[in-house]
Amino acid sequence: MALAVFFVAAALAVLGGIGVVAFHQPIRSVLSLVVVMLALSVIFLLLSAQFVFAVQIIVYAGAVMVLFLFVIALLGPARELGRGRLRFQTWLSALFLLVLLGLMWSLLQGIQYRQPDKADLSFFGTVQSVGAGLFTTYLYPFELTSILLLVAAIGAIYLSRKRIDDL
Amino acid sequence: MSALNIGGSQLDTSWFLLLSAVLFVLGSIGVLVRRNPLVILISIELMLNSANLALVAFSRQLLNMEGQLFALMSMTVAAAEAVVGLAILVDIFRVRDAEDIDDLSELRG
Repeated sequence: MALAVFFVAAALAVLGGIGVVAFHQPIRSVLSLVVVMLALSVIFLLLSAQFVFAVQIIVYAGAVMVLFLFVIALLGPARELGRGRLRFQTWLSALFLLVLLGLMWSLLQGIQYRQPDKADLSFFGTVQSVGAGLFTTYLYPFELTSILLLVAAIGAIYLSRKRIDDL
Repeated sequence: MSALNIGGSQLDTSWFLLLSAVLFVLGSIGVLVRRNPLVILISIELMLNSANLALVAFSRQLLNMEGQLFALMSMTVAAAEAVVGLAILVDIFRVRDAEDIDDLSELRG
């Protein structure tokens, strides 16, 4: 059962990823990315990461993607017309990235993992265990990400303010 | 190779890592080939997502929560990156039409 779920979700994720790259209209790329994120959230659930699954759907597929859709709606539909100035760029980059994929595939061959920690699988990945990690050992990084979000919000407001000469 | 026992079936950790690698390569193809700046940002999100998948897969393999916590942090960073990147993009579009990233070359020396 888990095997079938994994392969369906993986196929959806790869198809969505191809869609992100191949569609010419940005809005279709965004919707393909939503497909990828939903498929990945199912895979997170398979890997017993319940909290990451929920965050992936709410924050990523919900909030971040809606932000992208808003910007596309704001800027109007833009299509990529014609070909770029660097025609060989496409083939060269595809070649380099195929080499990169081959390298990663060969790294995965004969990979050795260390002995897994002792962990209770019924507790692993729950909100409880995530909270225990975030608010004890990793309290400082957690607070730093909140400062990062504050800085990003201030920066976005500053960048998108109305300028005097616009009025 | 080590198989994970998920719901009674045996799944290899390498499969998750391979899926992550494929998605990362697709995202980097998007960054290198596409010319719409918005699509480039979308492809970066795809690459960040594939990194999250690798983190969560290792976390499950080693039964260690740190991978999942790091994935949550990286989601926060990705959200911040998307917000600032889109704000910059909207600011550029306000001044001029920039449907091709090759047209935005004023900062080149």
